Amino acid sequence: MNVLEISRLAFVIAFYLYCLSFIFYVVAVTGKTWRNRDPVRHERKWGAVSFVTSSLGLLSHFIYCGTRWAYSGHIPVSNMYEFMTFLSMMVMLAFTVIFLIYRKILIGMFALPVAIIIMAYAAVFPKDVQPLIPSLQSIWLYIHVTLAATGEAFFAIGFAAGLMYLLRTVEFDKQDKSSLRQKRWLEFTLYSIIIVLGFVISVYGFRAANYEAVFVQNTTVIDSEVQEDSTIERIVYNLPPIVAPDDSKPEYIDSFLGLKFPWFEAPSWMKGEQAGRQLNTVVWAVVTGTLLYFLLRLLLRKPLSRLIAPTLKSLDPDDLDEISYRSIAIGFPIFTLGALVFAMIWAQQAWGRFWGWDPKEVWALITWLFYSAYLHLRLSRGFQGRQSSWLAVIGFIVVMFTLIGVNLIIAGLHSYAGVD
Amino acid sequence: MIQNTKCECGHQNRVGTVLCEACGKPLYDSDQSTEPLEMRYDGVARRSQKSNPNFIDRIWNFFSSVKVAVYLIIITLVGAMFGTIFEQESNFVYFDPSTFYKQKYGTIGDIYYKLGLSHTYESWWFVTLLVMIGASLVICSLDRVLPLYKALSRQKIRKHRQFLIRQRVVYEGPVENLTGDWISSAVTSLKKKGYRVKHDEDALLAEKQRFSRWGPYIIHIGLIIFLLAILFRGLPGLNVDKHYWFPEGEITKIPDSNLYLKNEGFTVEYYPEEELPEKFRESGRVVPKLFETKAVLYQCTADCDDPSKDPLLEEVKRHDIRVNDPLNYNGFKVYQFDFDLTPKLRSVTPSLVRADTGESYGKFKLSMTNSEETYQVGPYTLELSNKYMDFDLNEEGKPVSKSNDPNAPAFLFVIKGPDLPEAGVQYIYFPKQIDKERFQQDAINERLGGLDSGLALDVLGMEDVDFIASSSYLNIRVDRAMPFVWIGLGIVMLGLVLGFYWHHRRIWLRLDGQTLILGAHTAKNWFGLRREVARFLQDMGVDVDEKHLENRGNQV
Repeated sequence: MNVLEISRLAFVIAFYLYCLSFIFYVVAVTGKTWRNRDPVRHERKWGAVSFVTSSLGLLSHFIYCGTRWAYSGHIPVSNMYEFMTFLSMMVMLAFTVIFLIYRKILIGMFALPVAIIIMAYAAVFPKDVQPLIPSLQSIWLYIHVTLAATGEAFFAIGFAAGLMYLLRTVEFDKQDKSSLRQKRWLEFTLYSIIIVLGFVISVYGFRAANYEAVFVQNTTVIDSEVQEDSTIERIVYNLPPIVAPDDSKPEYIDSFLGLKFPWFEAPSWMKGEQAGRQLNTVVWAVVTGTLLYFLLRLLLRKPLSRLIAPTLKSLDPDDLDEISYRSIAIGFPIFTLGALVFAMIWAQQAWGRFWGWDPKEVWALITWLFYSAYLHLRLSRGFQGRQSSWLAVIGFIVVMFTLIGVNLIIAGLHSYAGVD
Repeated sequence: MIQNTKCECGHQNRVGTVLCEACGKPLYDSDQSTEPLEMRYDGVARRSQKSNPNFIDRIWNFFSSVKVAVYLIIITLVGAMFGTIFEQESNFVYFDPSTFYKQKYGTIGDIYYKLGLSHTYESWWFVTLLVMIGASLVICSLDRVLPLYKALSRQKIRKHRQFLIRQRVVYEGPVENLTGDWISSAVTSLKKKGYRVKHDEDALLAEKQRFSRWGPYIIHIGLIIFLLAILFRGLPGLNVDKHYWFPEGEITKIPDSNLYLKNEGFTVEYYPEEELPEKFRESGRVVPKLFETKAVLYQCTADCDDPSKDPLLEEVKRHDIRVNDPLNYNGFKVYQFDFDLTPKLRSVTPSLVRADTGESYGKFKLSMTNSEETYQVGPYTLELSNKYMDFDLNEEGKPVSKSNDPNAPAFLFVIKGPDLPEAGVQYIYFPKQIDKERFQQDAINERLGGLDSGLALDVLGMEDVDFIASSSYLNIRVDRAMPFVWIGLGIVMLGLVLGFYWHHRRIWLRLDGQTLILGAHTAKNWFGLRREVARFLQDMGVDVDEKHLENRGNQV
């Protein structure tokens, strides 16, 4: 067994340990109300079991990272698979830190799904070890990317705690305007999370079925000598092509349920590598996610938020609010240092300018501005509880857009941190 | 209206004071309320709270508001988003923006361009927003930091009961076995927890990590330095950002400086196949491993501006420029930016021949960049009347040069000599065979009358052609404001760490007979403060749950 195989195995072990510990956390939290149980003893026992399991998962995650680093000779953060895996590792690390401060097992019930979903998302991308292109060969790759991911991981915990706060305080029986709006948006937030799951499920489902469709795309570049330089690219889809690449012809398409594909073409203005294929994946994520959501609704016969909310009843909302705020406050300086200051130092060294209004840079700045608005509102304008929790939820959406959305639809200088 | 701002303790407060500067008694609320107090800036009056604001005060008041600051942040944030919808003009050089957006994105692109969003970050409104944020940073900080500093540096130990029971962390209850040294043992216990304690017989003030309160203001100072540095970068002479081609093997003058750079060789290296993942190997993808220009920087020491002499050069720096590893000579930096591996003509050595007989009159060396004004070949004189490095015909059919890069060089000579007219004969020469055919050298010469002489320029063999194997495109940078940018950011980080990783905590305590009244305050991390106060009370023999210390006002 070589080092890379150990690394792959450690990844899988970490993933399953996280899933297992998530179940333990759920048992620890919801089991308190089971019959014939002493709630305090139950919580202490199962809390310890869950924390040990999730810590073992984190240890295995570290082994994955270390062995892959040893194999490739550089820190594994240079493509989408590696970065997302690293991010989920940092989410678990941030969770562990926050857990050790507050000792609330309930955070686990929300932080673990965040880590698990990010990890599952990572696993969708190509896992090959790639050598570094010259612009990434710098010590700042290690510092900039790892610190930015750590800051973002604390924002993720802030998001999880904020969402918990909202689920804990939402009043399902009230019918006034603000409660209704509250319920609607909470349900929408949960639906969005299900869409991410839909993405992972559809990719894995069709991968297991070995689905393939191939398109031929013609890209024409007119160079300075007025000669047309056209390249023909084969684009392989592993999901049925609802969206075909811009200006392309199908080479062959596997059949799926006897449906006729493609239904439409990707718009030509979409950027990034293989925009058509990525848009198709997004469409599939929404389709699968929506189906899954309605299936769940049909089974449960009530909104998802209504299913989760009762498990939180034993929790003090003020503590959740404090935890959410605190992890954002811990993450903010780290994010500033990693995603802005060190990014500027690196940009100065690699490109000769510390700031170039590249989309990724702009979105890092937008994230930073958003969280600084959050902090000002909270510290000086008394935004607490519901308002600040919603901001924590929206903030994390901004973070995720910066990490994934920018690469998907805008691209720019950071496109090599992308997907293929 | 004249407000009575005198507190019952006898202290005269300034207008706008919420909590008495001396005893902390809330000046406006009813005595029955137990709502947590608004403790911002310790309830002192800020500069912006003047009773009769004049014009300048009004501007001051506008920028001193945190609400305005948050609006400015949000507007900037949303404005910045617009700039990422389509690419910015500054990110491409080769296209004409007035047509580029329309062609690429259609009508939406055209609207985007016409709204000026194609240069969002240089537009007047975006810059104005940044300047306003700068003003807000300065004024918000000044408005608060001085009053806060004064309030914190002259705190009274004994506070009003109202002040204590309306903190967010409160304990009020009887103390058993209250002896004379209760206060002194409380002092010991608090000191052990890192507090600095001041006390009298039956009241106490414990405080720690006050410096954390200055964190936000330090952040703001850092941001102001940063913004000023960016503003002053634009001044002439402080900032150079130019890109030039440096052909291999040549010493090239860097315009607007007395520096010369020699490209001693450019290398591009690719990863060998065995280092690539299988998928890349199958699709035949190549991944670059290294771009490197071996560069030597020279400084001109004499004869720099004398065109008749060669400048005297002295080597000042030698560096292998790579991506992430620029050449740095006292702040003059050279970055690897791009490269071109297509061979370019350095010089040709054509022969002047008689077209019908093939008789040669001799050769001369014609350099693309350093061509001379006249060449003497046998009995003939060739005067160079015009030179086009990148030859093309414009709409009117006139010759133009599209750029200064020798992509399609052409030379227009006036040939004089025996049997030729006094004024000479015009003759155009394309050194590259492909250009000769593309632009139809013979047809042009026929129109110019150059064929009448019966003379022609021709390269007779490959040994007469000299190529530049590659060229490196380097970015020349001078940025004198950079140190201030880094200092500003350093100060920001210092402020962030002080402000977020330490917490200012204060505990006030007074004994009213047999009753202990305790109030505690922090700017953030209430959880930690409650835990600390509960532990302290446990030390003192008062058993209380952390959660019960919390004062939620009239909710409970």
